[in-house]
Amino acid sequence: MLRRVIGLLIVAGIAWGGLAAVYLLGIEPKLGLDLQGGTSVVLTAPDDTDPDVMEYAVEIMRSRIEDVGGVQEPEISISGGTTVLVQLPGVQNEQQALDAIGRTGRLSFRPVLESTPGLEGPLVTTTTIAQSEGDEPAAEEATTTSTAPVTATTLPDVPEGVDPITGLTVSDDPDTIAYLPNFSLFGMEVLTVGPAAMTGSDVSQALPGFNSVSAQWVVNLSLTSEGGDLFAELTGQAAGYPIGDPRRQIAIVLDGQIIASPQVAEDVAAGVGITGGDAIITLGADPAAEDQAQNLAVILRYGSLPVAFERSQVEKVSATLGSDSLQIGLISGIAGLVLVAVVLLLYYRALGLVAVLGIAVFGSLLIAIYALLGHYQGVTLTLAGVTGIIVAVGITADSYIVYFERIKDELRAGRTVPSAAAQGFRTAFRTILTADTVSILGATLLWLLTVGAVRGFALSLGIATVLDIFVARTFTRRAAWVLAHSPLGRKGWFSMPAAAGESR
Amino acid sequence: MSLWRDISRGETRIDFVGLRRRWFYISAVLLLVSVATVTALGLNLGLEFTGGVQVQTENRSGVAVGELESAITGLGVVDFRIQEIDEGQSIRIQTGPISSALEDEMVASLAVLVGAPPEDVNRQAVGPTFGALVARRALWALGVFLGAVVIFISIRLQWKMALSGIVALLHDLVLTIGIYAITRFEVTPATVVAALTVLGYSLYDTVVVFDRVRELEGDYSDVLTYSEIVNRSMNMVLARSINTSLTSLIPVGSILFVGSLILGAAPLRDFSLALFVGIAAGTYSSIFVASPLLALWREREVAWTDQRRRMARKRGGSDRDLPEEPTEPAEPPTTSELFSMEGGASPRPPRRRRRR
Repeated sequence: MLRRVIGLLIVAGIAWGGLAAVYLLGIEPKLGLDLQGGTSVVLTAPDDTDPDVMEYAVEIMRSRIEDVGGVQEPEISISGGTTVLVQLPGVQNEQQALDAIGRTGRLSFRPVLESTPGLEGPLVTTTTIAQSEGDEPAAEEATTTSTAPVTATTLPDVPEGVDPITGLTVSDDPDTIAYLPNFSLFGMEVLTVGPAAMTGSDVSQALPGFNSVSAQWVVNLSLTSEGGDLFAELTGQAAGYPIGDPRRQIAIVLDGQIIASPQVAEDVAAGVGITGGDAIITLGADPAAEDQAQNLAVILRYGSLPVAFERSQVEKVSATLGSDSLQIGLISGIAGLVLVAVVLLLYYRALGLVAVLGIAVFGSLLIAIYALLGHYQGVTLTLAGVTGIIVAVGITADSYIVYFERIKDELRAGRTVPSAAAQGFRTAFRTILTADTVSILGATLLWLLTVGAVRGFALSLGIATVLDIFVARTFTRRAAWVLAHSPLGRKGWFSMPAAAGESR
Repeated sequence: MSLWRDISRGETRIDFVGLRRRWFYISAVLLLVSVATVTALGLNLGLEFTGGVQVQTENRSGVAVGELESAITGLGVVDFRIQEIDEGQSIRIQTGPISSALEDEMVASLAVLVGAPPEDVNRQAVGPTFGALVARRALWALGVFLGAVVIFISIRLQWKMALSGIVALLHDLVLTIGIYAITRFEVTPATVVAALTVLGYSLYDTVVVFDRVRELEGDYSDVLTYSEIVNRSMNMVLARSINTSLTSLIPVGSILFVGSLILGAAPLRDFSLALFVGIAAGTYSSIFVASPLLALWREREVAWTDQRRRMARKRGGSDRDLPEEPTEPAEPPTTSELFSMEGGASPRPPRRRRRR
């Protein structure tokens, strides 16, 4: 008896203690956008897209969104093979973020015109002076900005897309000159790069490799026939400058970022360049160069986003609608649960009490699990997920009903109350296992094979069904046993025999 | 009250199998109505399936629909629809596929007209292929699921039970789709979720019922015919079926009625209607479609046909009187007869100790 009571208390302790613990630690279930407000985008890639490519694309999207800023906790996930779900809670900068995500990047190969050490572009020194002298009256007119006149106004002669303060290019157009920061072993510099000589589409293949003779990591670049000619011209020009001159470099630029700036090798003749449509970019011998070679090869192959995504769905839910849905879901869910509890108590009497406590254990565990999943895995609870839980509550309630009906059968067959509780559990548990297996099977397949909202549903249904089996095995069985050995197992209108209609 | 007591004690004697024609007629009529409505009216497909833009906002300034209409036409949007929802408190505009620049313009001018900040406008823009993708994936998953379930139930129970269960499931699915056609509720990916739930639930329920049939099959294989075994199982699980559908329908019903009809939340309504109808249909079909079907099918097996003849002789009839099909009343009985009929075991054999 004592052992069962202790077991019972342990399970209840885990459930309620766990819930209290996550609550006290401030870990809450993470709500989906449909319950919280925000923007969600579904992007679809072509059907036969490789999983690795998808992962890579998601990485790029993530860094782009972080660049945009102002978006709190963006969630980007691959769902169902070829779709990417981007969730942007909050609404700041969301249009800009949306534009950034789906754009395929522009990869360009450009000549280097000049190198300026430090963090500021070559325009800065001249323009700041010109501005601080010539614009002073204008700055005084602007009464609201009494400080920092340099930052308050736009420089007159800064080309479009260049930040007036740093003199760096902010929005790069491959057809014009750009001032881009370059981080190399020798520190920071700003490279002035010319208009693109060739683009990513001129590359036919790029593979990382290891040159065993020189013991260096390399990227083997193959170009299309047209690209080969352009490349020969570009490298031929660069080869006109002596070794060590920054202008002997070729800048490989992706979305306004210099990815690499290899120098044209010594043995390349000026005016001839690298011919034949193949080139080797050598990255060096140290271990980090292996990763660099891998990354550079991927970028050269795919440009920035390796696939062209189609924007399949954009949904913006205002915070009010989201919280309305949540509130209504909660109110009606709780109302439903209370009604279910009343029905179970009235019909099954003391056994109903077991069910109500069991459902409380089940619910606490479920909330705790969702809180932890949200905290550590970024799993969100969506409307569809809530639906899955409602269905699962129905399934859990049914597990109790199947069990209690069995107990009643056994009692009517003449068994004693404790024996009926034990035997009833054995047979009922087989039924529950079989039926729950069907639900778990369905949830698993839906999770694996579908996209979008359906997956949220599948996840909550699956988790809740597994919990149902767990609670039945660990809590319900012990609780029924304890009840059967208590006074409520023997007599009184609330007792187990009364529920079976066997005693007056 | 005594009927309820009988149900509760599993002592009803309803002849589920014998009355199968009645249940089959009811189901056939319901299915026909569903199929006819879907073919005649089609489904009210949501934005996700048609593609386009949907904008929804509170109408704070109470601007007239006509004024909005001319404003939107002025922007160059051709194909659109304006609805007042929540008793005119809010405005919903649906358009065909338009460019995102035009969408922004529309939202901006709408925001001015209704007097709400643009951030408070709910927007949804969907490419025309997304809904199809969701539905295609769901159908594919459904196919795999059905295959897996047939295998699982065949192993765990019997393959004829698996197929009867699938028939009941399709029955529920058609009814659920029919309800959407009749009520004109929007079909969204959320609805697809709900429909899938219905499938899961329908099978779950059928498995619970068939599990009892299989158990009794072992216990009574030499004293009852197959139809009688099925009948007895049904009567025994009747209390459970009623209680389960009650406890499952209460939370869903609470969301459907309290949540969406009174407080007005469309996303929840889409879910809960399919769930409500589907769960009700799921319970019904396990008892009234899947089980009689199973009985009919198994009765044709040689072993059970022989058993039926043996039983008929033992109970004092003769081979000549034995109908080819399981016993069935010539006239459909009236409701009062329904509960007094002895389609089940007669007389009730001594209860045997369950083997285990």
